[in-house]
Amino acid sequence: MSIDEELRYELRQAAESMHCPPHLDERVRQSYQHYLNEKRGKSPMKKRLIAGVIAVAILIPSAVFASSYLADDIFGSSEAIEQRGGSQEAYQEIEGMLQTAKAKLTEVEFKEFKESFKQLMQLKLKITDENGIKHEEKLTEEEQRQWRELGSKLAPYFEKIQGNEKQ
Amino acid sequence: MNDNELHMWLEKAAIGDESAFQLVYQATHQDVYRTVAFLIYNKQDIEDIVNEVYMRMWRSFHTYDPNRPFRFWLHGITVRLVQDWKRKAWRRIRLFERNRQLTSEHCDWTDKAVLQSEMQHDLFGLVRQLSYKLRVVVILRYFHDYALEEIADILQIPVGTVKSRHHLALKELRKQFGMTGGDAYVN
Repeated sequence: MSIDEELRYELRQAAESMHCPPHLDERVRQSYQHYLNEKRGKSPMKKRLIAGVIAVAILIPSAVFASSYLADDIFGSSEAIEQRGGSQEAYQEIEGMLQTAKAKLTEVEFKEFKESFKQLMQLKLKITDENGIKHEEKLTEEEQRQWRELGSKLAPYFEKIQGNEKQ
Repeated sequence: MNDNELHMWLEKAAIGDESAFQLVYQATHQDVYRTVAFLIYNKQDIEDIVNEVYMRMWRSFHTYDPNRPFRFWLHGITVRLVQDWKRKAWRRIRLFERNRQLTSEHCDWTDKAVLQSEMQHDLFGLVRQLSYKLRVVVILRYFHDYALEEIADILQIPVGTVKSRHHLALKELRKQFGMTGGDAYVN
């Protein structure tokens, strides 16, 4: 017998002893059922998947913009300071400072810093008129106390941000 | 069941006729299972791939060219899925699952003939020890009786490559088989 014939014979013999396990029949049948359900559009999984994809598609752009401008978290948008005599450049400067802060401070520190800074900026917006002139007398006594408190709270952070910048 | 009938049943199965599915499955499942089992040795993997082959059959029914043999198309799907399986990362996802099973099931191959062959070092045992690239050519050539050109088509590689793998595989088998006491084959 040549090796060709021998191989044919051996492989056929071996194949005879291999049997597709019966439990696989059931598994393939279930896969087929799944395929049919999907084809008929009845699959709740598929619908959920589509909904998920759409949700992600909507969320991604807003997440990208939200994270690209830290200053937007503070002011909402650059319009808020432009209405009060601020410029786009000033806004970018604040943004730059926030980015530095984010890089230099720890996560916990930055969170606290951002929160305090936001409160301070809101007070500042309140006392600044459309020409950029400050009227500190507009603040109530409570707000003035808050103003001083925030200032002293933020001072060490500013030192850290600017101090590191010089190095 | 001839090719025309199979094609017809497959078409019915693809559009949702469950009895047609049963017919196609009964007519093909042993062949698919054995082809995969010749190429892949982990029992769990074999079953996963066989399942995939059928999923692919319904889905890519439209790529079947009725002018060519049905089994040629089927073996093309099967071999490509085996190759995907070896390559793709989705295999790793199931590693967790498999590791759990391995602890309770050490020997997943139970077919007696296979165990015997490996112990006896007979010709089939030697085929199983060939590298995958050589083995797949041997299986398609000697189990499915494809011409080397057809094998090149199924594996999507040049005929020259198939020829050299075929040659290498036989050389290897002759060498090993001679050494383990079989007849010396001179071609």
